Amino acid sequence: MSLSEKNSVVFAYESSVHSTNVLLSLDDQRKQDILCDVTILVEDQRFRAHKAVLAACSSYFLSRIVGQVDADLIITLPEEVTLKGFSPLLQFAYTSKLILNKDNVSEVCKCAEFLGVRNIEESCFQFLKFKFLDFKLDQQEYPRKKCCTQRCQKANPKIANVDDGDLEIDDEAEELLEKDYFQTPDTKFCKDDENAKSSPALQDNANQVCDPVQLERGSVSSSSSQCPKYRKFQKAFGNDKVHASESSSSVKDIQMLPTATLLEKEISDNDGIQKAQECVPMQLVSKCEETQVKMEEGEEGIEKKEEPKRDSVTQIVSCPVEKMDLAAPPQNSTAPHGLNSASFLHTCEQYGNLNISSMQNTVLADKTVLGTRVGNDKIESQDDTPAKVDLCPREATNITSAGDRSSVEREVAEHLAKGFWSDIYSTEACQIHLPPAAPQESLEPAYSGKKTECPWLGIRISESPEPCSQRTFTTLNSVNCPFISNLSTEGCSNSSEISSADCVQGQQQDQCPYNYVISLGEDSETDTEGDSESCSAREQECEVKLPFNAQRIISLSRNDFQSFLKMHKLTPEQLDCIHDIRRRSKNRIAAQRCRKRKLDCIQNLESEIEKLQNEKENLLKERNLILSTLGETKQNLTGLCQQVCKEAALSHEQIQILAKYSSSDCPLSFLFPERERTAPSDSELAVPACIELADGLSGVTPTNEQSSCYQIVKSVCDSTYDQAQELHPVSVRTVEKATLVEQCGQSGGITDFCQQMTDKCTTDE
Amino acid sequence: MEAAKGGFVLSNLAEVVERVLGFLPTKALLRAACVCRLWRECARRILRARQCLAWVSALEPGPADSHALVRAMARELEKVHVLPQTVLYIADAETFSGHEECHEQKKARKRNSKETAVALEKLLPKRCQVLGLVTPGIVVTPMGSCSNQPQEIEEGEAGFALLFPKIDGVKIHTFHFSKDVKNRVFDESKFAEAGLKNNPDLRVVLLFGYNSWKPGATRFLHQIVNPLNEKSIILAGGQVESFTSLTSENNNAQPGDACGVVGLAFSGPQIQSATVLLDQDVADERTAEAAMQRLKAANIPEHNTIGFMFACVGRGYRHYKTKRNMEADAFRKFFPNIPLFGFFGHGEIGCDRIVTGNFVLRECNDIKDNLLHGYTTVMTLIHLGSAKANQA
Repeated sequence: MSLSEKNSVVFAYESSVHSTNVLLSLDDQRKQDILCDVTILVEDQRFRAHKAVLAACSSYFLSRIVGQVDADLIITLPEEVTLKGFSPLLQFAYTSKLILNKDNVSEVCKCAEFLGVRNIEESCFQFLKFKFLDFKLDQQEYPRKKCCTQRCQKANPKIANVDDGDLEIDDEAEELLEKDYFQTPDTKFCKDDENAKSSPALQDNANQVCDPVQLERGSVSSSSSQCPKYRKFQKAFGNDKVHASESSSSVKDIQMLPTATLLEKEISDNDGIQKAQECVPMQLVSKCEETQVKMEEGEEGIEKKEEPKRDSVTQIVSCPVEKMDLAAPPQNSTAPHGLNSASFLHTCEQYGNLNISSMQNTVLADKTVLGTRVGNDKIESQDDTPAKVDLCPREATNITSAGDRSSVEREVAEHLAKGFWSDIYSTEACQIHLPPAAPQESLEPAYSGKKTECPWLGIRISESPEPCSQRTFTTLNSVNCPFISNLSTEGCSNSSEISSADCVQGQQQDQCPYNYVISLGEDSETDTEGDSESCSAREQECEVKLPFNAQRIISLSRNDFQSFLKMHKLTPEQLDCIHDIRRRSKNRIAAQRCRKRKLDCIQNLESEIEKLQNEKENLLKERNLILSTLGETKQNLTGLCQQVCKEAALSHEQIQILAKYSSSDCPLSFLFPERERTAPSDSELAVPACIELADGLSGVTPTNEQSSCYQIVKSVCDSTYDQAQELHPVSVRTVEKATLVEQCGQSGGITDFCQQMTDKCTTDE
Repeated sequence: MEAAKGGFVLSNLAEVVERVLGFLPTKALLRAACVCRLWRECARRILRARQCLAWVSALEPGPADSHALVRAMARELEKVHVLPQTVLYIADAETFSGHEECHEQKKARKRNSKETAVALEKLLPKRCQVLGLVTPGIVVTPMGSCSNQPQEIEEGEAGFALLFPKIDGVKIHTFHFSKDVKNRVFDESKFAEAGLKNNPDLRVVLLFGYNSWKPGATRFLHQIVNPLNEKSIILAGGQVESFTSLTSENNNAQPGDACGVVGLAFSGPQIQSATVLLDQDVADERTAEAAMQRLKAANIPEHNTIGFMFACVGRGYRHYKTKRNMEADAFRKFFPNIPLFGFFGHGEIGCDRIVTGNFVLRECNDIKDNLLHGYTTVMTLIHLGSAKANQA
């Protein structure tokens, strides 16, 4: 029995890896074309596979394959099945892994449906479609709206804010620039004005940055309501942004690859501006000088042509052409913005012409051209800016080419300054223009505080034409990529703000609006909170020796950030550090927001407290007043009562009746206080109020009535004076009342009224 | 005569007794279980069948002597119909750690929060695992129906406690890894202890980092997240202000001293889960709803499902142009019957991912994708299996 039982025991061995391993080996066979017995033709491409596997995975193949005796079957799939959609599915059949991306999702989904592939759940396609669709929407639709609304807004908001503050100034400045282009001092002045104004605006912005979104929106709206020029700019901006966003990758690539110069220019522009701003604060005068000098040379050549540097001019010319090229593709991509593109082209052409003309040494022409092109320039600058943003990471590389760019950059910067950020740019532009050394100095004294920080200082330094030392440039760039951080660390509020604004501008175009916002927020934070945090970030950076600056880490959007990380090969420590920096900065922003919220809350509460305290004080005062009047009336009343008592001799009964009926009425009850100290306190309390009421409310007639009553009462009182003392007050009152009622019918009404009022008064008290 | 009949029925007919006792909440049921053997058996059966999640939420502030959540728990635990085995409670930082009086003395605050936590845990059954978190803001669905409108409470007294009963086929572990100052390398064996390793049924891990401002906290978190991320599981969570309780390791848990990670691990073949990340670009109703649509497309069953929302303190109504409750409303619009819980924290962990018993949909990049975010919202759905399947 036991033996047979033992014999009949069955064990089951089950491998958990067998199925996957079989699939794996089948996949290997497919790859090596072993035992493959079917060929699939999709859009002229051949795929070798196993009948059995296909039939097992797909109902379509099952129906096609079953019944076919062909040794080497060739199945041509209908048009519905595309190459893009089919190859992932084939891979899925052999690996159970489906690789989906934005491009192929819909096609894979269609093909899977058509082929009846099993074990693929519809929901994953749905999920991805929503994800990618969303993405697309964001990228395409939004960009425009965003561009104008969000990105631009965000970017603009600051700008806009600045603009708001400085619009007038800017206009003036622009005019001045146009008119007085030659005379740098004027421009400087304008700049100074702008700067001065802009700096507060910036600060405001910084403050506002706390609620960047709101601010942005507000700023957008405000910007929209601003000068037509600005609107144009914004529009252009928007378009540009759209271009940038949509064609950003292509543009970037194009720019990156073919137009080192463009990039350089852009970069250089950015760098130049940034540097100018940063340099000053950093007071790396020597370096700055060199770099700036180069820059200035380029600029001067272009602008003033006093130092016509043909090289720079030629460079510029080439650059414009490149820019034109670059600009063209994006514009094409963003066909809708035909106007913009056209303008762009025009601008480019003009640019080229201008450059050429500048070559011809007509400074005036250049200036005028610049003035006329402001719009164009702005557009260009916008275009450039995105490129710059893209470039930013590669600043180092760009830096090397700084020399060439410098001139171009300057131009760009000028244009930008003029066009967009009227304030900022104007300041920058001014700076650029400033190069004519003398004015700078003059300006400096006025701005002494700012000047140290201000970029112009760097510029003036640069006036001395020296061969550009690109290396210094590079070092600066590397250090200052996070211009903001540098600036902030240096503590120049103005410069930092400006720089941040610039950065923002540059970045805005390239990156997501949020990032910009964030960067702004950070800037503001650093400004407001002090440099400690940025310092720490920097220190960390230094510790780990990151190949780029913290600012970038912080300002990049998530996607950009990730791709950015991909680009660099980083050690885990560096990665950690970067993530740490990024997260911390984000947290900082969030925390700041939190703090602000809390502060607001506290402020509200405090103001409320103040209000309430005031109210209390007022009420107390009122109460005192009332009390004092009450005392007076009491005195009056008692006086009256005494008089009445003396004049009228009241009988005991009368007094009793009075007391009985007047229990609640005050005036009468007061007849007794002197005689009857025993009178209940409540009656006393009630009296004054009644008196007041009687006086105030009843007016003349009631008083008359009262007086008549009093007289009657008096007689009663007098007669029963002695007895009354012994009597219970109530009874007296009743007597009084009775008499009153008898003698003057109105008195009852008055007493009633008085009672009501006393009730009220007592409850109020 | 009548009384005798009733007594006979109630002490002999299990079906009747079970039906009657079935109306009792857990605490009363446990008391009734002391009456006799029959009742005890009935009560046990009833309790075993109660496998639906319950929650207690506190939304409005009350008297200052204790936190609203403590009061709500004391009140509601009497009425709850489940026997909690795992409890996750989250309370807002400002009120939970004591009121404004102790603003200056940090020590007082801490002690206070500890006391609150102890008071809270005293209310819970001794053997249940408790994980308590303190965060700057709370997302909570009011008690009662699953379809109540979830509220984002960014400031003010609030809290909630999720009471997970013992669910067939679902295991919920709490875990706590704190950073060891001396030992820089993370001990992998701890993973196995927590059921995070060699656990093929692991589906969802909710992770909460605390003291994330400490140096090295991020690296530590990465050390935990990265190995977990290689598996086909949902990871979600965030950085919280602090964690207040973890009954299983109360002795060696020292919040405040070091950084670390606490969390819940859900394992079970029937668990289905999906998560989406709302990044910074999601800043208006349309985009938020698009994200919810995405989550909806994951096709997670709505029954017996909880939603989690882990948002950044920087989001909320300021992020949506002062529109309050945007994300919670969007969630409710697409998931009318799923309760939503969560918090506003200092950083989020999450990504776009779907994990069900049948398939996993995840992003695959050549470099390991980063799960730690800031300024985002992570929305997660966890389906704990259909109750019918459990009963069958």
